[in-house]
Amino acid sequence: MFNTELFFNSVPTLATAAVVTFKLFVCCVCLSLMFGTLSVMLQLSNNRAGYWLSRTYVSVMRGTPLLVQLFVVFFGLPLLGIKGQAFLAAALAIGLNSGAYTTEILRAGIQNVPVGHLEAAASIGMSRLRTWTRVVLPQAFTVSLPALTNEFTIVLKSTPLASVVAVTELTYAGVIIQARAFSAIEVFLPIAVGYIVIALSFTQLARWLERRLRDFHT
Amino acid sequence: MELSIIFKYAPMLLQGLQLTIIISIGGIICSLALGSVLVALSRSGIRAVVILVRVYTEIILGIPVLVLLYLIYFVLPEVGIRFSEIPTGLLTLTLYYSPYMAEIIRGAINAIPTGQVEAARTVGMSNFQIAKRIMVPQALGLAIPPLTGICIGLVKDSALLSIISVHELAYQTKQAVARTFAPFELWAFVAFCYWAILSFWEVSMRKVEKRVTRYREIG
Repeated sequence: MFNTELFFNSVPTLATAAVVTFKLFVCCVCLSLMFGTLSVMLQLSNNRAGYWLSRTYVSVMRGTPLLVQLFVVFFGLPLLGIKGQAFLAAALAIGLNSGAYTTEILRAGIQNVPVGHLEAAASIGMSRLRTWTRVVLPQAFTVSLPALTNEFTIVLKSTPLASVVAVTELTYAGVIIQARAFSAIEVFLPIAVGYIVIALSFTQLARWLERRLRDFHT
Repeated sequence: MELSIIFKYAPMLLQGLQLTIIISIGGIICSLALGSVLVALSRSGIRAVVILVRVYTEIILGIPVLVLLYLIYFVLPEVGIRFSEIPTGLLTLTLYYSPYMAEIIRGAINAIPTGQVEAARTVGMSNFQIAKRIMVPQALGLAIPPLTGICIGLVKDSALLSIISVHELAYQTKQAVARTFAPFELWAFVAFCYWAILSFWEVSMRKVEKRVTRYREIG
């Protein structure tokens, strides 16, 4: 039932594809943090238009399926003159989607910083920028880390969606092999295990970072 | 932008929407049921069962929905278990979302102080009465907001079933796109439809939550 030959033959292809998945994951996480930070700054600024822009962004991203967002981005990019960039479209769609959740996580983290700290910073004459980089953001990031870890695990689990626009990441590589060999167990079981391993090592890394940060702050 | 295309293909999209709603409701009911079973099993106190539930939960938390979908759609037939597309989709959503549901239900139940249950027992309430009068009314108020979020996730993930050609909204959109070559308009319109429905659902659930937690204001 389990064709070991097929399994061993598909390992190199799957390993190459796993690298693509990893790259996609890193790109998505970076974009998510970028969009999230930008959007939370808009939301907490005193600008009304910025506030509503950010709220609309979060609402739309949370209210529509990622698959549909991916298609909108994939078919929208050519209208902006960017053609045939499947990887870019996938990274952008997943990053934009996750950015909405990151916004909410960061907002909770920032609002968690006691007002007293801001007043203290102001009274010893810290500039606004310094208050943000030295007082607000380090604390907000530490508090948000567990939630962010959660969110980025979801990002990892969203990367297979890139296969629908033909990015050859781990899942799509599996589909291709499966279609050629007419046999699925040998490909999809290792793929499932692969995702679990990547997810577990990512959460372990995040736990370690959490501990380090906690020691650093106390 | 050709908006007339949307009107022309509206009946087709509407058909897809119908199936999306049916599958979503089915998925929500089944995963809530399986989630409750998982909670009951993990509270059963039998070691092997508790460990089994934990392993299942960990696996589901680690693999993408799409991979689970492929496991059920491609791998299960090889070991002789074959479903047609819609049951496959329903099974995927149920298996994937029930651990999340279980986690929420468990959290809501654990949040009720044990003292209340003990007090109820002291005044002679039966187990059923305790569940009906003490546990459910409070747990419901705690569980509704996170459950709403998870249900929205489930509805959104039902769009993935288009990949195994379940004729739901995303699939119908793909078909319309293939015929019209107007992908951007159609996908943007469908995104708007999902957004409108899910936002309405979120707002209504907030109303329900308010109603369920009325007792907090009275007390």
